[in-house]
Amino acid sequence: MTEKCQQDGGEKKISMKINNQEYNIVVEPHWTLREVIHDKLGLTGTKEMCDHGACGSCTVIMEGRPILSCMTLAIECGGKVIETVENLDIEKHPLVETYANNHAMQCGYCTPGFVMTAKALLDRNPNPDEEAIKDALEGNICRCGTYPAHVVAILEASTKLEGGK
Amino acid sequence: MKRFKHYDACTLDEAVSLLKEFDGKANIIAGGTDIVGLFKDNVFAESPEALINIKTIPGLDYVQEEEDMLKIGPLALLEDLAHNKLLKSNYTALAEAARRTASPHIREMGTIGGNICQFSRCWYYRLPNNRFNCIRKGGKDCFAEEGENRYHSIFGNVKDCLAVHPSDTAPALIALEAKVKTTKRVIEMADFYQTEDAKKFSILDSDEILIEIQIPRPSESTKSKFEKFAIRKSIDFPIVNCASKVEFEGDKVKKANICLNAVFVTPYVPKKAEEYLEGKALELDTVETAAQLALQDAKPLSKNEYKIEIAKSLIKKTLLACK
Repeated sequence: MTEKCQQDGGEKKISMKINNQEYNIVVEPHWTLREVIHDKLGLTGTKEMCDHGACGSCTVIMEGRPILSCMTLAIECGGKVIETVENLDIEKHPLVETYANNHAMQCGYCTPGFVMTAKALLDRNPNPDEEAIKDALEGNICRCGTYPAHVVAILEASTKLEGGK
Repeated sequence: MKRFKHYDACTLDEAVSLLKEFDGKANIIAGGTDIVGLFKDNVFAESPEALINIKTIPGLDYVQEEEDMLKIGPLALLEDLAHNKLLKSNYTALAEAARRTASPHIREMGTIGGNICQFSRCWYYRLPNNRFNCIRKGGKDCFAEEGENRYHSIFGNVKDCLAVHPSDTAPALIALEAKVKTTKRVIEMADFYQTEDAKKFSILDSDEILIEIQIPRPSESTKSKFEKFAIRKSIDFPIVNCASKVEFEGDKVKKANICLNAVFVTPYVPKKAEEYLEGKALELDTVETAAQLALQDAKPLSKNEYKIEIAKSLIKKTLLACK
C-alpha cells in the first residue's frame, strides 16, 4: 500500500498500474473496479454481465490472480498491478489468434472474461492439460455454449507459448 | 449500490476501534464477494454505514503448522487453501471444502474468515430492496414457512427462521474440531454460530473480529472427507454438504465427527450418529444405520423432503471414504 491507512471514510485518490500504465483517479467508496476500468478509464473490453460475481465476464488479472472486477471495490485497489483484456493485444498474446482461429466465441460478450481467465492460467501453468483448463474455466459462463472451443483454443495457445520459448 | 463510508485499517486495534465508533453500524470487509453483493442489492433493513477493510492489515493470510496445531489466518484465500499440500494430505476435508466453494474467481478473492462469517443465502432474505421484511430483518414472519422452501431447513426453525447456513468450509472445520480465535476469546468452531439473536449469524459481537482458525493435528490413524451436493459442479451454494472425520483404532472407529450444512440454521452435528459409530467397523450396514440416526430428527418442510436422502448419502459417502 502506497497510501496512508487512515482517512475520512469518503472518496480517495488511488493509483493503479493497469496494462503497464499508471492511472491516478479519485474514487468513491461504492465504485467497483469494473466501473472504474470500463466507465471511468474507458477500457471497455471488461464487460458487465451479471454484476453479482456469478458469471466471470468481468474477469481481470490482479496481482496474478483472475478476479471479478464487479465484486471488487476500486477503493481497495490502490497500488495494485492489473491486467485487462486490452493487454493481450499489446502483448500479442497467442490466445488472440487461437481464439479467433477456433471460433471460441459467438456473441462474444463473455469472451474477455474467458480470455483473461485463460491468460491467468497460462501465466501460472504454460502447459495445462484439458482437465486443468476446464477447472480454471469453471467460473465463466457462456450462454451461447462455446465451452468446447475454449479448451481447444487454450491448448493451442499453450503449444504456441511453449514453441516460443 | 448503497452508499457507505470505507476505511482501510492498518492494525487490528484500529479496526476494532472503528467498529466501536460505529456501534454496530459497520461491517468488516475482507474478500468482499458476499458483502459487496449485499450492498448492491440493498439487502439490509438497516444498512451498515461503513465498511472496514482488513486486507490492509499485514500478515493475516498465513497457513502454518505449529507443534500439534494448524493455524490459519482469516485472510487466507480459499483458492490457496484448496491447493495447499499440507491441507490436502492431513486436513483433507478442509482442502476439499475450500475447493468446492463457489467458483475459481470467487476463491481467488474470498477468504476462509469471510466464508465462515458469510450472511444467509435465503432467497427471501436476499431479495433486492428488502422486499421481504423477515425475522432476520426485524419483521415477524418467515416467508419460507409457507413459501418456496425447497432449499430451507430440514431440522426445523430457530426463532422462526428457516434459512440454512450456506458455508462449505464451516462443516469441514467443525468436523476437524477446529477452534476460532477472535479479538475477545477462543471458542470451539462448533459453538461459533448462535441462534439467540436473529439479526446475526455467528457469536461475534459488533466490535469483535475473527483473527485465527486453529485445527488440532489429526493423528496418523485419522482421515477426513468432504462432499457437496449442488445443482452445478461449480459456482452453486450447497443444497446439502457434509464433512466427516474418523479416527481409527485398528479397524474400529475410535472417534467419528460428522457435520452437515445447508440443512439447518447453523451447521448440524448429528451426535447420535457419531456416538453410534464408536467402536464399530465402518461397513455398509453401520454407515447406513449412522445415516438413519443422523436424520432421525428431521422435520422436512412442504418442498424439501428430498434433502433427507441427499444428507444420508453424503454421510455414507464421506464416512466410507475415511476407511
